[in-house]
Amino acid sequence: MALLDYRNDMQRCSRCSLCKWPPLAQIKSWRFSNVCPSMVWGNFHAYSAGGKLIAALSLLDGRIDYSDKFLEIVYQCQMGGACDVSCKVTRDLEPLEVMLELRAKCVEDGQLLPAHMVMIESLRNDDNPMGKLKAERGKWAEGLDVKDITREKADVLYFAGCRYSFDQDLWGIARGAVTLLKKAGVDVGISGKEEACCGGRAYEMGYRGELTKYAEHNIETWNTAGVRTVVTSCSDCYGTFKYHYPKVGKTMNFEVLHITEYLDRLIKEGKLKPTRKVPLQVTYHDPCHLGRLSEAYIPWEGVERKVLGQIVIQDPPKEFRRGTNGIYEPPRDVLKSIPGLELVEMERIKEYAWCCGAGGGVKEAYPDFALWTAKERIEEAEATGAEALVTACPWCERNFRDALEQDGEKMKLYNIVELLLEAL
Amino acid sequence: MALTRNVYQILEDIVGPENISEEPVILDSYAFLWLAETVTDSKFFTRPEAVVMPGSTEEVQAIVRACNRYGVKYKALSTGWGPWNAPGDEGVVQVDLRKMNRILEIDEKNMYAVVEPYVIFSQLQVEAMKRGLTCHIIGAGANTSPLASCTSMSGMGLSGISMSYNARNPLAVEWILPTGDILRLGSLGCGAGWFCGDGPGLSLRGIMRGTHGAMGGLGIFTKCAVKLYPWPGPRQMHFEGVSPGHVAAIPQNFRCYVLSFPSWDSFADAAYKIGEAEIGYVMGKQIAAGIVPLMAARSPTEYAQIRESGMADEIMQEFRYALQLILGAHSLREIEYQERALQEILAETGGWIPSPTQDPERQKTTFRMMIKVDGNSAIFRLSGSFGTSFGAETSCDAAMVHARLGEEIKKKYIEKGVIADDGAEWAWGAEMNEHGRFAHIEELFMYDPADPESAKGAAEFIEETSLLTAKQAPGLAIWELARGGLGPKAHDIYGPACSNYHVWQRRIKKAFDPNFSADATFYIEPEE
Repeated sequence: MALLDYRNDMQRCSRCSLCKWPPLAQIKSWRFSNVCPSMVWGNFHAYSAGGKLIAALSLLDGRIDYSDKFLEIVYQCQMGGACDVSCKVTRDLEPLEVMLELRAKCVEDGQLLPAHMVMIESLRNDDNPMGKLKAERGKWAEGLDVKDITREKADVLYFAGCRYSFDQDLWGIARGAVTLLKKAGVDVGISGKEEACCGGRAYEMGYRGELTKYAEHNIETWNTAGVRTVVTSCSDCYGTFKYHYPKVGKTMNFEVLHITEYLDRLIKEGKLKPTRKVPLQVTYHDPCHLGRLSEAYIPWEGVERKVLGQIVIQDPPKEFRRGTNGIYEPPRDVLKSIPGLELVEMERIKEYAWCCGAGGGVKEAYPDFALWTAKERIEEAEATGAEALVTACPWCERNFRDALEQDGEKMKLYNIVELLLEAL
Repeated sequence: MALTRNVYQILEDIVGPENISEEPVILDSYAFLWLAETVTDSKFFTRPEAVVMPGSTEEVQAIVRACNRYGVKYKALSTGWGPWNAPGDEGVVQVDLRKMNRILEIDEKNMYAVVEPYVIFSQLQVEAMKRGLTCHIIGAGANTSPLASCTSMSGMGLSGISMSYNARNPLAVEWILPTGDILRLGSLGCGAGWFCGDGPGLSLRGIMRGTHGAMGGLGIFTKCAVKLYPWPGPRQMHFEGVSPGHVAAIPQNFRCYVLSFPSWDSFADAAYKIGEAEIGYVMGKQIAAGIVPLMAARSPTEYAQIRESGMADEIMQEFRYALQLILGAHSLREIEYQERALQEILAETGGWIPSPTQDPERQKTTFRMMIKVDGNSAIFRLSGSFGTSFGAETSCDAAMVHARLGEEIKKKYIEKGVIADDGAEWAWGAEMNEHGRFAHIEELFMYDPADPESAKGAAEFIEETSLLTAKQAPGLAIWELARGGLGPKAHDIYGPACSNYHVWQRRIKKAFDPNFSADATFYIEPEE
């Protein structure tokens, strides 16, 4: 699909502003009633999903041209997709797809952000967007007794992803995840320094070719290695594997699981038994890419037709991703399995959760906006009375850490893996 | 006609550089509006010259005064849903009130809330419910502004039966007149707080908004006290499910019904009787027969399959004269009384409760939609857009006359293929306001805004139905909708049939806005 293919979606936007709010029935207070960080930050309607559809239509129709403001509107957005969920409560439109296509067009037309170009340069040189050397990729696992799937076979591949591989503050989480899998008797291996980026962040920034390259490479590598399951602790990678990888058309001979899904399964099978009390009241942040953006790719190739006069149908019928089938319960079930731990919910959860602020290339290009978004979520977490904020994504964790540190906040921050390790 | 640098600088000095823009990408997002293609042959109205985003009454006042001084027109909007939010012509500054988004006060004892322009109904409702109160929500949906519908624009909705419509619900108001003077209407004007919208002296509420509101043509409203009503439900509603299938638990003291009738006449009789019995909490003809099959389908494609197979014909007929009703009571004994009263009304009017609607899960969905008013934009789903036309605030019997006439006109356009075939039915609304004092009706139709032929047909449909309203049907037409089809002379067409209201409206415009600064395109042109 290309931007032009979504022209009808742009024209059918009614400018109702539903993309700015959670699904209306789910609004629980005035304070936490927004769902689009970009809109709250930018305020002008153009920053909303609807506004970006209008910008795309204007661009296609030659009413406007690229400008610095245009690029700011396009890129000052985490691409978290809450707008998409809210829109699709009542509509069959694809606002997030339009926004992705708009970024791809910007890149095709050479309308690039310097901060993103740095990431892409790093990706092209070292297979990661973080400006780190490829040779350092496996360091997070040093001393960990785990198989290297480039040399020996394993049933399960643990995929660390770029953030866990290079963010030393977070190495303990990746190591903890492998430790938990081994405790449960899982035959697990890693790729060490041979691991490469998933390509998802590049795709979200508009760099389509990078995704195709890494998807083809990773799928082929894992098929060849004969792994039955790929497990990742990174929600971004997980969402990429589930939604974007199937688009490249290569058969994936393996199952993809997020670590929380796998841990939940292992607990329910009795292979992990949390018995030690962790007396803590926590609230859980749904990462965008583990929640609404993790819904599997649903291939559709068809045409739009008119019946009964002007009723628009897709032939064959198209199934829309509405955030319904994200990974919402497994992380909660893992938390609930921990003795002494109490889970209290924030107001914006699951498919209409507020984004952490790190996604879509925002943390790199607009760090103030990223931190503001995180602080908004931390405030929501604090409003629950919980002592700790728990998440299941390294990008969320990095951004929350930075925000907490900047403001000297006392709220504790955990990854689910850390809490489960404590309970065993 | 771009703003002069001097005027731009003056506006920038008022709101700060981050709150003003003349970037084309931003301006176009204000020119693009629902129904635009039925007026302009494009998705866009005229671009505003700039968008300014004030954060306070003082800033709004300064903007209005600057516009008066330098001969620039202005047009304010809150959530901005609908063509009446657009600048009518070149040379207009758009005043986006988004930053004025606070609920300033909820007076539980006196049952009102003071809101700024960008508060939406959903926000107000959840905060009110925490105090055992709720607000009337307009039919457009809970994503719109209570202040806007109270002060400036229509205000009909399904809860009108027990909470009236939003011409009745504003109390004291803070109003920046077209000249920039601040008028504090009602009790606020004599320092007595927000509790009353009238006095001291003559009430100006009629001038402020009349039946339908000036849609920005008489200045800008910056604060409004909105009447609240008892909410006998839980302080926080509980929802089950994940998008898009949220359903609401129905409390024991509520009932949710779909009621069907054999004809428009019995439909109207039942509506009157429900109003007279004062048992309705929320009521209206929200779910059209043509939409009912969508409830059994997962997609428009499945909907079309069901319709084309003929499987839906019987169902659509059963729902042709149907309304949805929620009963709400303060005790179980009261709800039992209401149920008995309703059963008697059904027996007297030949009405029945269609069996598919007795499914508890469907009732939960209907309950959510009617209390939260969160699903109405689903009517965009089948064809990409809908239009509304040809309506009135009138007696329920007269509304049924509208409905019949609407069916006849709609059939022609369905046959042409320019609007969706919804069975030539869909007199939406048919709400009974104030326990039956008057009804509201709109003739809805579905069209595709991405299809120029369909958009053209939609424009013709609006025009034809609007003219028919002036010629044949009793009751006050819905001006803001007819304006699209009939253009600037809409009022001159309707006025003679309605006590020459247009003459008075022009006088009001001239008296309150001597410089014609407030863009009055959707209110009334100052000159005939």
